Amino acid sequence: MLEQVPQNGGYMVAAYIVAAGILIGYAVSLYLRARRSLRA
Amino acid sequence: MPLPDLLRHSWSVAAKDLLVEFRSRTAILSVAVFVVLVLVVFNFGRDPTAVSNVDLAPSILWVTFTFAAILALNRAFQLELENQALDGLLLAPIDRSSIYLGKLVANLVFVATIELIGVPLLALFFNVRVLPYLGPLVALIALATVGFVAVGTLFSAMTVRTRFAELLLPVLLLPFMIPPLSWAVLATGRLLAGRPLSEIVGWLNMLAVYDIVFVALALLLFPATVNE
Amino acid sequence: MRMLRAGRWITVVGLVLLAGVYVRALAYAPAEQSQGLAQKIFYLHVPAAIWAELAMVFVGLASVFYLFTKDPRLDRFAAASAEVGTVFCAIVLTTGPIWGKPIWGTWWTWDARLTFTLFLFLLYVGYLLLRGAVMDPAARARFAAVLGICGMVEVPFIHLSVYMFPTLHPMPIVLKPGAPSLPWSMLSTWLFSLGVFTLLYVGFVVQRYALSYLREQLEAVGEVGHA
Repeated sequence: MLEQVPQNGGYMVAAYIVAAGILIGYAVSLYLRARRSLRA
Repeated sequence: MPLPDLLRHSWSVAAKDLLVEFRSRTAILSVAVFVVLVLVVFNFGRDPTAVSNVDLAPSILWVTFTFAAILALNRAFQLELENQALDGLLLAPIDRSSIYLGKLVANLVFVATIELIGVPLLALFFNVRVLPYLGPLVALIALATVGFVAVGTLFSAMTVRTRFAELLLPVLLLPFMIPPLSWAVLATGRLLAGRPLSEIVGWLNMLAVYDIVFVALALLLFPATVNE
Repeated sequence: MRMLRAGRWITVVGLVLLAGVYVRALAYAPAEQSQGLAQKIFYLHVPAAIWAELAMVFVGLASVFYLFTKDPRLDRFAAASAEVGTVFCAIVLTTGPIWGKPIWGTWWTWDARLTFTLFLFLLYVGYLLLRGAVMDPAARARFAAVLGICGMVEVPFIHLSVYMFPTLHPMPIVLKPGAPSLPWSMLSTWLFSLGVFTLLYVGFVVQRYALSYLREQLEAVGEVGHA
């Protein structure tokens, strides 16, 4: 009996986007906060 | 400081707090009301055909006890905020550890009082048999309570002077309460359902280890929370 | 300042390599038979989880040494590690349910690992809130150190529970006694990802540390806000 591989690629894409978003978002926030402190 | 002095001073600190608390009685009263409220809400909220009393009992017990603990902890160092009594306490020629132990004992007595009231009330209103399991139940409740009150007493020393102290303390305490609490709730459930003691012993051991570790840690760290 | 620039470079390299991880995980690593493509979330989820926990351990260690030495650099490092740890913890808590939904059929289950990752997140949030609530820098550092140490000691108890509770969570296949039970194509991708997350941790922490330092200098001159 050949089992069908579940078609859940959408979840994979979502997770990869979310993770990238968090990491890039944090990197940007660090950059902006430092820039604000340097300007002060 | 020699041990007898340490214990004597701790008891003095505890006695002072307990005296103040029992004179005003407001905290005990509000928790008593809360106990009744919880019992009523849980009673009307359940479907008797679907959920048995024994299923609800652990949740009822522990919601009540944690509320009592947080109330006690919020008040623990508040007493000292007025008239700068904390400075007076710190100037006294006693070990910092005595202050912590005294506060811990006072908090434990407060929560224990609630627990002594809560368990019989639960047994009465919800028709839950507790007498056959009384020994292990007491041990379970005692161990879990020490676990989160020990950490809570330490944290309350830090939060008392922050702006949203009553809000911050439960937030800080939550992750430290959940391990002992979850073990306690699970074990209470098993115990009241009549499971053999051998199933409960594992949790009792874990709670005991948790207590030893965190009381020791709190004793070590407490001076850092009050030293200027 | 030099530290900030170094941190930024490390982060940039890390993010570029992250893209490499993405390509490798999505295109090169084979799909797992029973779980399908969603399994590939594992390449991000597990390294993030490892660093979410390690970061807390570092917060704890730095806190211990701080209480002994009162060296403000340790306090700055603790604050930095805590913030970065929170970010990685957030990644675990978001990718976890996204992985769980197709595999277990539910977004959330009170299984031991998920639940305690939530608690780790709460530990971090509490730590950051405490730092934000205390105005006096010396008290802030001391209190944060106390909380950090308690948090670090709490982590093993969190782990203890993982093996006591029944769980839907996959048992460890990489970090366990004996050899990892993964084919090389998967293992190498995973290791690559772990390396990139390590790099990102370092880059983020260095930047956050530098930020603390900058803010302290501003605080000393009387500017608004605190580190």
